[in-house]
Amino acid sequence: MSSYTVSRRGLLAGAGAVGAAAALSGCATATAPAGSTQQGGAVTLQSDLSSPLAEQAMQSLVAAYSKQSKYTVKLNTVAATTYQPLLPTYLTSANPPDIYTWYAGNDADHYSSQGLLLDVSSAWKTMDNYQPALKTLSTDAAGKQIFVPTDYYWWGVFYRKSQFAKWGLGEPKTWSDFVNACATIKAKGAIPIGLGAGTGTAWVAAAWFDYLNIRLNGADFHRDLLQGKHSFTDPKVVDVFTTWKQVLPYFDPNGTAVSWQEASNQLLNGKCGMLLTGTFFADAVPKGSIDDLDFFKFPVIDPSVPDAEEAPTDGLFASSKTHNAAAVLDFMTWMATPTAQNLWTATSSGTVIPANPQATAPSSALVQKGKSMLAEAAQLTQFFNRDSTDALQNTANTALIDFIQNPGKLSSILTTWQSQAEQVWKTA
Amino acid sequence: MAATVSPDSLAARPARARRPLGKRLRTIGFHTGASALSLLWFLPIALILVISFRSTDDVLGNGLNALPHSFAPDNYSAAWSGGGMQQALINSAIVSVPAVALTLLLASMAAFALSRYKIPLRRTLILVMLGGNLLPPQILLVPVAKLSQVFGLYDSLPTLIAVEVGFGLGFYVFVLQGFMRTIPAEIQQAALLDGAGAFQIYWRIVLPLTRPALAALGALSFTWVFNDLLWPITVLITQSKMPVTPALLSLQGQYVSYWNVIAAGSVIAAIPTVAVFLRFQRHFIAGLNLGAVK
Repeated sequence: MSSYTVSRRGLLAGAGAVGAAAALSGCATATAPAGSTQQGGAVTLQSDLSSPLAEQAMQSLVAAYSKQSKYTVKLNTVAATTYQPLLPTYLTSANPPDIYTWYAGNDADHYSSQGLLLDVSSAWKTMDNYQPALKTLSTDAAGKQIFVPTDYYWWGVFYRKSQFAKWGLGEPKTWSDFVNACATIKAKGAIPIGLGAGTGTAWVAAAWFDYLNIRLNGADFHRDLLQGKHSFTDPKVVDVFTTWKQVLPYFDPNGTAVSWQEASNQLLNGKCGMLLTGTFFADAVPKGSIDDLDFFKFPVIDPSVPDAEEAPTDGLFASSKTHNAAAVLDFMTWMATPTAQNLWTATSSGTVIPANPQATAPSSALVQKGKSMLAEAAQLTQFFNRDSTDALQNTANTALIDFIQNPGKLSSILTTWQSQAEQVWKTA
Repeated sequence: MAATVSPDSLAARPARARRPLGKRLRTIGFHTGASALSLLWFLPIALILVISFRSTDDVLGNGLNALPHSFAPDNYSAAWSGGGMQQALINSAIVSVPAVALTLLLASMAAFALSRYKIPLRRTLILVMLGGNLLPPQILLVPVAKLSQVFGLYDSLPTLIAVEVGFGLGFYVFVLQGFMRTIPAEIQQAALLDGAGAFQIYWRIVLPLTRPALAALGALSFTWVFNDLLWPITVLITQSKMPVTPALLSLQGQYVSYWNVIAAGSVIAAIPTVAVFLRFQRHFIAGLNLGAVK
């Protein structure tokens, strides 16, 4: 991360010298595409929503916006896999794209602390009806809003209704119910818990860490831990792993080898019984099979700990170097309206909940169940990387995969994790 | 090269009928082994071809490696128009063709000078060019991205062409000067006596004689530039300017990927290189021993 700061500084010096060149090329890109008028202008929306369904939904959103506005928005979809590593490069470049799809919370705050994000407080003036929690989430450490949330989704333990009926199982509410359910599924010859933390999707293992930690130690401890206020060698963290060990024998033995998409396949064809996953799972389900799917809340372990749920929030932020802040704010204000968010939930896969409370969430039983689960939760967390940084996520991936493969080496794994995490916190 | 090989094989042909048993067994062994190996090589390609014709629901429901339960040729139209492969192929052509032509022109000029004239520091220059090739291009990612931004050249196809030319040049010069050194000095001296200048010697004598090397290098460099992923994502930012490789990557979703459409896109992306390979097959093999024999 420190290298970005250095290069940005060098760049700012250079940007002053070649400001004229940058401005010239800025004009060229602004006028070339549509020949738009001076008082309007085009801005670029850099999007990582590259799955075909989501990209089409974005295209129709941008088209609907451009139809009713004097500004035009140009959509640039970049592969999700290249977007994340390139995002710092985009933001620090001399003539960056204007608007970006990204995550709320600590990750956005991290960029804001480097002065890279545009203050969007004026867009928030139209967003009084939003939940205060979403506003807090969109506010940076300096107290200004830098993010406009568009939607959020939830995580849960997904299963197939027909399979559970065949095995004679109900939804487990408590941890002991859950362990019993695992034993039943194993006795019936299926893999109780799928994982899919193989190549490229090692991060899904962090969902288990997040949930066990917020169920055992609470959301506040979890957030503090990820901010470096506690150590990963803390006895409370050790508790998380000893609880995890109780169900580890029920995990898919190939869980750290197969990708997440393969794990979702295993659930769909009945090879595995349950999968802790986010609702993006619905995109991986063939049409018609979605009705057989249901989820339950991650089981309660300690009833005295208030329930918190993972509710990752997606939305937009903008570059502070934009040449057309008026257009950026106009678009972001529009994206916060019920009209835009209804369009989005209707055209995308239909398992997200719009951020604006006045927008209508999809009416499917699955979404309504998820929405009420989140409404009942005492607190909401984002996800490991969103509550910390992408750099800390990498240390978690190494530690958690190592734990799943060698649970006996727990204490040395935690020591290593702590020393790696200290490196991250030091450089952040 | 080809000229020296063909008389040999012609001479060997009548003798083949009277070969001893051991030699024939060896031939049979070679052919079964080679076909087994090529079958193994072809297996992943066959898998991609099969997946590219399966429907999305089939892939999602039965998994990637299952036997096909469906036939969905519309994956190709989805990849072609919806996935943007059409624009990407045009972009790739805009980049690859000039990049290859320009590299070969510049490299052959430099190689001509370095191989036919006693230029001071000639050896050092060649070694520096070779040395540059040994460095991994990744270490230059940040400088190239930042410099192109500072010069206002960021996010344009000509910049990508310039970068591709720049990075190919060293290797091509090295190979071509090795080849040009094998051209007998007498030919050049004869041309000199006839009153040809340096450029005329280059254009009318040396370049035609270097044609086999140029064809081989051209075919190789076309596949390299066409299949390159690193430089396009470094100097380009706009989706509509991306060539085939990043476009293929951007068919992948954040969580879920429709592998059948990606497979169809890969097949489309492979067609130009396969076509170039088939057309220049002979030169490809010749290209492998370029500069190997003096």
